[in-house]
Amino acid sequence: MEAILQVDKLTKQYPGFKLDHVSFSVPKGTIMGLIGENGAGKSTTIHAILDLINKDDGVVTFWGQELSSNPQNIKEDIGVVFDGINFYETLTPAKIENISMKAYKQWDKQIFSSYLKRFQLPSDKEVKTFSRGMKMKLSIAVALSHKPKLLILDEATSGLDPVMRDDILDVFLDFVQDENHAILMSSHITKDLEKIADYITFIHKGKVLFSKPKDELLYHYGIIRCGEAVFHQIDKSAILSYRKRDYQWDVLVADKENARHLYQNTVIDDASIDDIILLYVKGEQVK
Amino acid sequence: MKSLILKDLYNIGHNAKSMLFMLLVFAVIFIPVSGTESYIITSGVLCSMMVITTFSFDNTSKWIKYAMITPITKKDLVISKFIVLFIFSAIGAVSGMIIGTIGSLITHKAAITNIESILTLLFVTLVSLVTADIFGSVSIPLLFKFGAERARILSLISFLIPIGICYIIYQLLLYSGVSITDNFIFILICCSPLIAIVWNYVMYKISYGIFSRKELLE
Repeated sequence: MEAILQVDKLTKQYPGFKLDHVSFSVPKGTIMGLIGENGAGKSTTIHAILDLINKDDGVVTFWGQELSSNPQNIKEDIGVVFDGINFYETLTPAKIENISMKAYKQWDKQIFSSYLKRFQLPSDKEVKTFSRGMKMKLSIAVALSHKPKLLILDEATSGLDPVMRDDILDVFLDFVQDENHAILMSSHITKDLEKIADYITFIHKGKVLFSKPKDELLYHYGIIRCGEAVFHQIDKSAILSYRKRDYQWDVLVADKENARHLYQNTVIDDASIDDIILLYVKGEQVK
Repeated sequence: MKSLILKDLYNIGHNAKSMLFMLLVFAVIFIPVSGTESYIITSGVLCSMMVITTFSFDNTSKWIKYAMITPITKKDLVISKFIVLFIFSAIGAVSGMIIGTIGSLITHKAAITNIESILTLLFVTLVSLVTADIFGSVSIPLLFKFGAERARILSLISFLIPIGICYIIYQLLLYSGVSITDNFIFILICCSPLIAIVWNYVMYKISYGIFSRKELLE
């Protein structure tokens, strides 16, 4: 599938932290979830992708072009939502529209107006009177009103209640109905990604541990819950990560059906994305 | 560019009433004591300092990072701050002239009776605009370098640097035997817009140099 965004060996070194050769791609018509614990490098990756920080190495291309080669045109096609609204709180949605329509050639007043209506946002009220959810909806409305083809969301649903998150996730699903669109969405709320993402890229300590279709993770990954005796029988090459808890071993494997066939008297659970993250982050890898 | 200027004007527009109130308070204090001329210059400088407030608003809303994901260029963003500074300085100088004239008429400090007095008033307004713009433009590289909060403290430097440079030039002129006559001052004031343009260009180059290397994590 043709990639809208291609990240190749993206590297950025800070004292005490390194974004280490991060690579993944976001194909057309898909939602890529970027997951990882706090401080794993999700936001640094997004900042480097958007040229907000200077990368030390690696190549990032949008529709096959580096952002620096044609920044103004490429940015017309990218909508970004950070964790919060980036307009001063005394502004109203109407004033924000006036500001934004002068920044974007592709700004569409009708789209903005329809989102304000859909999100029930008053156009003449100051942003400071809005709840956090309303502010996020306004940010999303702004990001979508210049008709972007790629939406980049950095923790855009964090801190929102489930109803508000559900409303927003529906907007994202609508957006990718157009197969020329795509979303890169960083979040530590894995339930949201389980609901809407097509692919998951997991970053841990600045490195990509995997970048895979979500269904492969949910349908194939499993956790063997076993005692010490069974644990020692398991083929070590099949173990992605394991964690010892009192008298039980939790062992993450990439092929749960095969494990169910091999270890028939053992409990083998489905693995949620949360489980996978926890086992990778808190567990150990077989040396 | 228009987007950036409009954003700053909207943000500052919210403070317009309090700024007008401050100008009136300063009018009551300055005009009877120091005269209309010093009030007009003070008014210009006071309004030019609103550029620091725009950085403070940008910082609170993390605007600059956001602006850089829109089609706005780094160059546009830096230039817009100098344009906004000029607008604020001009508003301050013109407001100073209007309030100062009304104040001086009320306090009988000055009489605007002939062309010469009107020209003097316009001349002082020009000096106010140039002074405010030059002082304010020094603060812009500091604001890009250190952010609004730290630069607010350092903004004293933006007043000391131009004053220091003027003092050095004055001493050099005295040392080389050039006498400071009214005619010389008149020529200097006439050249002051040109000096302000050159000064702003230098400050722009420094600001852009700082901003283009800046990483925008926040």
